[in-house]
Amino acid sequence: MPTDVVMPQMGESIAEGTIVRWIKKVGDTVDRDEPLFEISTDKVDAEIPSPAAGVVSEIRAQEGETVAVNSVVAVIGGAASAKAPAAKAAEPAAAAPKAQEPPKPEPQADGAPPKAVPEKSVPRDAPAPAPQAAPPPARATTTEDVIRQRSSPLVRKIAKEHHVDISQLHGSGIAGRVTKADILAFVGGQDRGEGQVGRAGRVGGDTEREAFAEPPAKLATDRTEKMSPMRKRIAEHMVLSKHTSAHVHSVFEVNFSRVAHVRDAKKAEFDRSGAKLTYLSFIIRAAVEALQAVPVVNASVDGESVVYHKDVNIGIAVALDWGLIVPVIKNADEKNLLGLSRAVADLAARARGKHLKPEEVAGGTFTITNPGVFGALFGMPIINQPQVAILGIGNIEKRPVVIDDAIAIRPMAYLSLGYDHRVIDGAVADEFMSKMKHSLENWDLP
Amino acid sequence: MTEYDLIVIGAGTGGYVAAIRAGQLGLKTAVVEKQTALGGTCLLWGCIPTKALLEHAHALKVVQQAKEWGVTSGGAPIAATGVSIDMAQVQARKDRIVSGLSKGVEFLFKKNKVEWIKGTARLTGKGGVEIYEGDPSTGSGQVTQSLRARKEIVVATGSAPRSVPGVQIDRQRIISSDEAIQLRDVPKTIIIIGSGAVGVEFASIFRRFGSDVTIVELLPRLVPNEDEAISAELEKVFRKQGITSHTGAKVTSANPSGDGVDVALQLAGGEQKTMHVDYVLVAAGRGPVTTGLNAEGVGLRMEKGFIVVDPLYKTNVAGISAIGDVITLGSGPHPQLAHVSSAEGIVVAERVAGREVRPINYDHVPACTYCDPEIGSVGLTEAEAKARGYDVRIGTFPFGVLGRAKMAAEPDGFVKIVADKKYDELLGVHMIGARSTELVAEATAALRLESTVEELIRTIHAHPTMAEAVGEAAHAVHGAAIHI
Repeated sequence: MPTDVVMPQMGESIAEGTIVRWIKKVGDTVDRDEPLFEISTDKVDAEIPSPAAGVVSEIRAQEGETVAVNSVVAVIGGAASAKAPAAKAAEPAAAAPKAQEPPKPEPQADGAPPKAVPEKSVPRDAPAPAPQAAPPPARATTTEDVIRQRSSPLVRKIAKEHHVDISQLHGSGIAGRVTKADILAFVGGQDRGEGQVGRAGRVGGDTEREAFAEPPAKLATDRTEKMSPMRKRIAEHMVLSKHTSAHVHSVFEVNFSRVAHVRDAKKAEFDRSGAKLTYLSFIIRAAVEALQAVPVVNASVDGESVVYHKDVNIGIAVALDWGLIVPVIKNADEKNLLGLSRAVADLAARARGKHLKPEEVAGGTFTITNPGVFGALFGMPIINQPQVAILGIGNIEKRPVVIDDAIAIRPMAYLSLGYDHRVIDGAVADEFMSKMKHSLENWDLP
Repeated sequence: MTEYDLIVIGAGTGGYVAAIRAGQLGLKTAVVEKQTALGGTCLLWGCIPTKALLEHAHALKVVQQAKEWGVTSGGAPIAATGVSIDMAQVQARKDRIVSGLSKGVEFLFKKNKVEWIKGTARLTGKGGVEIYEGDPSTGSGQVTQSLRARKEIVVATGSAPRSVPGVQIDRQRIISSDEAIQLRDVPKTIIIIGSGAVGVEFASIFRRFGSDVTIVELLPRLVPNEDEAISAELEKVFRKQGITSHTGAKVTSANPSGDGVDVALQLAGGEQKTMHVDYVLVAAGRGPVTTGLNAEGVGLRMEKGFIVVDPLYKTNVAGISAIGDVITLGSGPHPQLAHVSSAEGIVVAERVAGREVRPINYDHVPACTYCDPEIGSVGLTEAEAKARGYDVRIGTFPFGVLGRAKMAAEPDGFVKIVADKKYDELLGVHMIGARSTELVAEATAALRLESTVEELIRTIHAHPTMAEAVGEAAHAVHGAAIHI
């Protein structure tokens, strides 16, 4: 029985979505819950799992098309699951889907109706997989599946070692093939300093970045590429913010010796809990305290009113290969260092894997961005509207500092606050920053 | 003023391929060439003529071994000493091959509606190209045509042989490869300066033809761009063949005298030596050709005479790209190879036509040297891999063990695989021995596809072939080859 695949509702306020990519084509066999297509809404990018197992018999919305929520974008012939358990027990399961005619919506006439499939076509308004009495055939990721995911032997080997799901990666090779450079960039965080890092820089790699500056006028020889929906949103959002807020920046220098000390002391404990204690967790914690002390920084502007938020929801900017996204740690004030560390790691990983839910990128009251990880001394970040302030973390590195008329070496960093002068004056911003500086420099071992 | 979408300057392997690809993609394309035939260095002066000579040398080798092969003449054995080469026939056959291929390019131009404009090109800025008849070195001469490129100018002017200090190429007795391919007599004695591909190929040609050959290489080993094991094997085989190699040595002076050249050498230990030889062949590399182009005049950024380009071959001047031997990417030497130029030409043509293009990975460029024994290599050498921080694993397998090598009486050489221990990545494949220049194709595809050594092991290699050595070397990386 054919199943309609609909554009899912990804959040309350979302009316439409854009199909970015079809992972399966007409005629492909798809397992239930196997990624079927990729969408981009005005909140998040996400991979949409198939609501049923079968053969994709029809694709109604093409890549790049924007369609209303709940409109049918594809049809899956409910065949695969119907046939597999029937008669031919001798035939290996993997061969079954292949034998099928792709577009034909299997007439379920012959023989005894397979009892294992009470699946009366998944209701069209419920994209989330409804719990089932009898589960469909196990979602075995066979070697064949992995190979079909356009990669290379080397990539598969690296992926296996690092437990990376290649299907989550964005392939830069021909026809979207995941290349060595792609996977090394992905695992790069964990795996840096391995010798191979330098090589991509030599030639391959990101050409446009290395290219000479383009002449201002567009030449016929120039390559024109449509912005991705995410890129368009970032562009609109940034320009809107620049037009909306009266941006001012204030930069403080912070001595991280104390934090480094505490971090070293607690590292083992965190390792045992399977979490990674980063400087960022301390900074979030310090920001929460400072936001509570200076509430106007945890506010937004509504016409001629200032709205002071009770919740402290901290957005963390996550750089992606294909753009930027700001998942939000809800009620960050209720979390300790361990909770914050876990939340950051989880959100960042799911952001990179395109597994964020729309509500997870909404509702932020303050944002932290970390240009320091790319080596920046400090950033001058643009406020994430409708918030009124954003904190930029510079590179934390050992620097010579004067302490009691002696030169000492300390881990130092510049923290910068971008704030909206409409509601926050310089003195208030600096009060906020002084509080942060004070907490970080005088961290107590709890 | 005639307008084209794309104007290519230079009809060498880079330029003509760029033009054909552009023609296929519907661009109105012209190629300016100052020589009287199409094909450039590779076809007219380099790859093609030298490989033709090498095939003659190989034929001579087989006949010299006629006794071994059981080939007789009128029932009588053929004595190796009685066999020699007829240079007039060699040159005639070689010229026939060259002109046939050059005509082939002309045909391809017609087929793809590419226009061939004869003359020397000078850049005039803003897409303009002037064609003139006259001396490129002064840039003066009668302007015959003015052209304009609507989309892009591609500079593909190539390279020319370059000399070394103290040695003046006179084209009579002190010659470059341009003259060496045309020699009508076999030199009794010849010194070859430089042991890159050009040097060792001519060493093989002339040695086989009967010359007394001495190679003088400044660096400590022959074919210094190759893996060290390849250099060592080549030196060994050359010694067996009677070629003298002086490495770490240089020619300090070379002066024509009578029917030859007086040469002063400084050998590795600092020892001085003088020789009198029929010819000195300078094979010490090739320099960029931009004379008469007015490259500086239009503001092209240059580095040591090479045109600086980005990874998609754009120069710093909008609307001008450059490819092939004349360019530098600014990161180490750019390989001066015909197949690299043509790959670059295709990238530029597709880019100008609006296709999506990707930069070339220069770690995956095969290099072939057609000396006897041949050398084929692709990827990182052992030393390069170590320098990049890989935990290197090596596997080597000698050709001599293989049935096919025994049948062909080609026992020399081996395949050496350089791999990364951590991920089993194939990093480089280096081979020396008969047919290595063909065998390297498999290795190139494997590198391109990001193969692991395991994949190469599981690849079935037909028997009996020389290619078995590739599979066996892969086995050797993992510990044990089967047949040794």
